[in-house]
Amino acid sequence: MTETILTDPSAAAGVDPALVSFVYREARLADEARYSEWEALWDDDATYWVPMSPDADPETQVSYINDNRSRIRSRVAQLNTGVRHSQTPPSVLRRTVSNFEVIEAAGDAVTVASNFVLVEYRFAITLWAGRYLHTIRRTEAGLRLAGKTVHLVNAGGPIPTMAFLI
Amino acid sequence: MTVTDQAGPPAETAGGLRPGDVHALVQPDRVRGLVYTDPQVYVLEMRRIFREGWVFVAHESEVPEPGDYVTKRIAGEPYVVARGKDGEVRVLANRCTHRGNRLCNADKGNSSSFRCPYHGWTFSNDGSLSGVPMRDGYAERFGEVRASLGLVRTPRQESYGGFVFASLAPEGITLAEHLANARHAIDRLVALSPTGSIQLSAGWMKHRMYCNWKMVMENNVDGYHALFTHQSVYDAVRPAKVSHVPSKTETMVRDMGGGHSEIDYATEYRRLDEEFVWYGRLAREKVPGYIAALEEARGVDGAHDTLVIGPPHTLIFPNLFIAEMNVMTVEPLRAGETIAYTTPVLIPGQREMNSRTLRRSEGAMGPAGFLIADDGEIGARNQLGLAAREPEWVMLSRGLETDVTDATGRINKDKSAETPQRGWWKHWAAVLEGETSGNGAQ
Repeated sequence: MTETILTDPSAAAGVDPALVSFVYREARLADEARYSEWEALWDDDATYWVPMSPDADPETQVSYINDNRSRIRSRVAQLNTGVRHSQTPPSVLRRTVSNFEVIEAAGDAVTVASNFVLVEYRFAITLWAGRYLHTIRRTEAGLRLAGKTVHLVNAGGPIPTMAFLI
Repeated sequence: MTVTDQAGPPAETAGGLRPGDVHALVQPDRVRGLVYTDPQVYVLEMRRIFREGWVFVAHESEVPEPGDYVTKRIAGEPYVVARGKDGEVRVLANRCTHRGNRLCNADKGNSSSFRCPYHGWTFSNDGSLSGVPMRDGYAERFGEVRASLGLVRTPRQESYGGFVFASLAPEGITLAEHLANARHAIDRLVALSPTGSIQLSAGWMKHRMYCNWKMVMENNVDGYHALFTHQSVYDAVRPAKVSHVPSKTETMVRDMGGGHSEIDYATEYRRLDEEFVWYGRLAREKVPGYIAALEEARGVDGAHDTLVIGPPHTLIFPNLFIAEMNVMTVEPLRAGETIAYTTPVLIPGQREMNSRTLRRSEGAMGPAGFLIADDGEIGARNQLGLAAREPEWVMLSRGLETDVTDATGRINKDKSAETPQRGWWKHWAAVLEGETSGNGAQ
């Protein structure tokens, strides 16, 4: 995983604050188990990918999560049943997101990379961390999430149950 | 935990349990809750089941080319499964024979030799010691050192359908004797491949579960839990492949003997006479390349039959579960903690089919899977519940009166019957008591 950083270090604002706010909002909705509001952020052709290695080819390698838009809808619907036992009650979650940099800007879409640390409390405290790649699209209806990739620090596993929105 | 030597403690004090103690834990219709929680039981299991018996280690397709290797653990010990330049797959202790350093430190790789980073000893991937730096230090004894200090192979190793099994005991029943009727499940799986071989090359999801390893395994053949543990899937997404209401389906459960058991959907699939019911009712037009190859290999009728019957849903004692188009294995870490490994079953050369299988596997299996995440949660809560010592028994009597014996084993036409669990525990107790020669039928 080699990223080219496009963020202009001389720009006072760094990454567009609107993009950073969008990532914060996505994180907060996930933390607070506000599933339907979280789902509403996604664009129609979105992908949500959590690979087992940064270099994995999803065509030949299995991933922890590799959701197309339809499966994102199913995942949220399952969480919303109230009997998704692994999230009933929902894990208590709080994550911090930082180190924002733009790594791709093509047409109306920008890919923002960041680091995150997430504390999950369920039976005990579980610490999660990794790198986010949010591909955010500017549309007439506002910012929409076109893709989210999560490179877990411990992607090599084993990892505990991860039924919440990482 | 007790520190034991390689052969395990003597029988009369094995894991602190005396002969007969394990039989007292298991009755035909119930088992004591401490079979899941007791550290002494766990120690005895590691010896009797995971060291003396046959265990699944790897699939030959994980190391397709000479030089390929993967690292695994058996009963907590590190092993490397390597394919030599002669094409042979060997299960070798992942431990330098000089001072004990772990040789291979990656999950997988390709190398014709393994060089220990501590003092530079080098081993060929067939296990032979090929290089010792500054050999003069051994003077005239060098020849003996080199000849005697190759990597240690497991005392026994055999394969069936590409599944590599090993035993750390030099003597015992053969793998064929161990698998017995369960070999038909492997046959049924590989029959889905036009070439007759499958590929487990997509990587293993590694899921840490806070429950006993047996809970993971026996739950896989529990035909009773799906409507409840997995209610959210059926509520949110779609109905199951066939009804999970036992009275609405001709699905049976089977204790195959030797601890092996299954939920067998074949009768129901045959009754429906519909292809790919086990694969989300996939339309054959979606995978034309696979259909063509299968018909070429099996003929039109043979391919249809294969696609109707589909893959097995079979537990092979003690640590292999064929979950239709997924394979699961478990690594016990302690009485209350287990790693479940899952990987999709790929078919050589069938990219369009494999791509679908990958996505289906991600949907169902692993730490974020729509199914297995909830099995892991229920397992963890089961472990918490069992901390209550009363009532002392876990009940397994469902369907006891309606079990019947036929040539395939002990079956029950109610898929919610606890027939598989009864078979598992009967065998488990016999193995722990040392009444069988390793695993397998007596």
